Amino acid sequence: MAELTTLARPYAKAVFAEAQEKNALDAWSADLALLAAYAANDEMVSLLVHPSLTADQQAQALKDVCGDKLTDTAKNLVAVLAENKRLTLLPEIAVLFEELKSQLENTVDVEVTTAYRLTKEQSEALKKALTAKLNCEIRISSSVDKTLIGGAIIRAGDLVIDGSLTGKLSKLAEAMKS
Amino acid sequence: MQQLNPSEISEVIKKRIESLDVTSQAQNEGTVVSVSDGIVRIHGLADAMYGEMIEFEGGVYGLAMNLERDSVGAVVLGEYKGLAEGQTAKCTGRILEVPTGEALLGRVVDTLGNPVDGKGPIETSTSAPVERVAPGVIARQGVDQPMQTGYKAVDSMVPIGRGQRELIIGDRQTGKSALAVDAIINQKGTGVKCIYVAVGQKQSSIANVVRKLEEHGAMEHTIIVAAGAADPAAMQFLAPYAGCAMGEYFLDRGEDALIIYDDLTKQAWAYRQISLLLKRPPGREAYPGDVFYLHSRLLERACRVNADYVKSVSGVEGKTGSLTALPIIETQGGDVSAFVPTNVISITDGQIFLETNLFNSGIRPAMNAGISVSRVGGAAQTKIIKKLGGGIRLALAQYRELAAFAQFASDLDDATRKQLEHGKAVTELMKQGQYAPMSTAEMGLVIYAANEGYLEDVEVNKIGSFEASLLSYANSQFTALMGKINETGGYNDEIASGLKECIESFKSSQTW
Repeated sequence: MAELTTLARPYAKAVFAEAQEKNALDAWSADLALLAAYAANDEMVSLLVHPSLTADQQAQALKDVCGDKLTDTAKNLVAVLAENKRLTLLPEIAVLFEELKSQLENTVDVEVTTAYRLTKEQSEALKKALTAKLNCEIRISSSVDKTLIGGAIIRAGDLVIDGSLTGKLSKLAEAMKS
Repeated sequence: MQQLNPSEISEVIKKRIESLDVTSQAQNEGTVVSVSDGIVRIHGLADAMYGEMIEFEGGVYGLAMNLERDSVGAVVLGEYKGLAEGQTAKCTGRILEVPTGEALLGRVVDTLGNPVDGKGPIETSTSAPVERVAPGVIARQGVDQPMQTGYKAVDSMVPIGRGQRELIIGDRQTGKSALAVDAIINQKGTGVKCIYVAVGQKQSSIANVVRKLEEHGAMEHTIIVAAGAADPAAMQFLAPYAGCAMGEYFLDRGEDALIIYDDLTKQAWAYRQISLLLKRPPGREAYPGDVFYLHSRLLERACRVNADYVKSVSGVEGKTGSLTALPIIETQGGDVSAFVPTNVISITDGQIFLETNLFNSGIRPAMNAGISVSRVGGAAQTKIIKKLGGGIRLALAQYRELAAFAQFASDLDDATRKQLEHGKAVTELMKQGQYAPMSTAEMGLVIYAANEGYLEDVEVNKIGSFEASLLSYANSQFTALMGKINETGGYNDEIASGLKECIESFKSSQTW
């Protein structure tokens, strides 16, 4: 996983620079999301690493599946990746591209997992607090997990704020054991 | 058995719940990508520090050792069987620390300071980080107090001072550990605290050392840090640093401590294993590039510090602190030019060479007096041993030279023959059994006897019994003289004439 990220980084940076130049960040974002989704498909993966297929054939297969939704530059990216036998890196490239994009826009994707669905006011309050803490724009995606019992877990990249009741209980359990 | 008091237990539980901090804190989290041979790769953990503790699921801890662009390489401290790919790993923001303090004395602990001797928990409130930068130039003071090992060969020819680093080097089975253990036993009653760090040794050997120390009443002033051969490589690599941190507790409080690293070769092996698994590039003998620094930063922490430093660190006034290190290095087939031995020889302030052929010919301690040196200990020697010990070194050096030469000569002149005989007698006299450390006065007495030629009419094979009877005679008949020497360590005409009188009256009794 770590190695894949390292391999994908130059591609993601190149694509990002290209997108910035042409002012086509959103178009690229859509293209990469599409390509990543296909390239992550199990059947597609087996095709992309098949030893008897040439690079051109693999590239063509991916392009065919995507149909006419891809822009021409995106097709070129597929060709370059195929030539270097890196088509399977597409999901990582997409992730890194999104990271670079949100860095540019100074936004952070925050996942909020709660025991109960957040009300609109709660969501707004959370957004405000997190904006102040992280010092950038917040995009919240929330999900519900009943096993938390109460409270919430907030994830922004590597940063995790565990305010769930389960987390606190397990902390208590640890303290009692030691 | 004591009656359990239910309210007491509830009270304890209540206190624990009250003291628990349940406020949620922001934490850095990552995902375990791979686990192999005690090395864990973690994706994420962008905020991890070098040397930080990493918490894994199930309360297992690791130590961040490689910080890369997208991942962190960590060594697991302890059991890594429960770890699996995909588990979360958290930063703790803490650097690895071990408990320190007087409560550790008399105990056997592992690298993390957990007791392994079955004597219950260790009650101590102080702790110290395992890695610390050694005191600087301003904080230091010259080595001028003796650290007696109780071996007349060592104390007279390669004296060790408090705060010195003296390497003990030799092949396997040459008595390296025995020398170190005797040095610990000899600290009984001197106030010197001892730490014995066992790295990569058999558990049976460690148990043996503990038993011997207990038998000789030396466990009360000793901490044993055990990282056996079955413990993970990370524990073996860290054990010397942990032991050093425990010794620095005494150094900082103006006390004297002695630390034995037994042995640093195995620690270097453990570090090599970790480094190779972390994919650091191998160098000479497959050791990583920083193996010199591995030992230099450890041994640099052994030093003598001045009173100002002690005052500024712990508030204790008017006392200097010292940490004396006796690292042990095991050579293969007497090869001291291997990588780790040369490194440690260059770092330390002298070395004691133990040799297999000397050991097998019955000379124990099997010290080669010709190449064993102490670079700073001379200033720390007691006056009497300093004055008398010079003759021993000279006699042995001349003897070695002549012995090689005399093998081919059939008839020797009188002076040469006499010198050879004297050398033989001194070599015999330097033999000393294990667990039989000698006091300064005892050493002074027998060395005086050798220097003044009182051994000339004693047969070489009788020297051992001559020495033993002389000592018991002196200890019973000349108690005042011996006590005075032990107390002051001084040497003057009065003491010399006292020693002379003692030996002459003993020799006239002809009881050996």
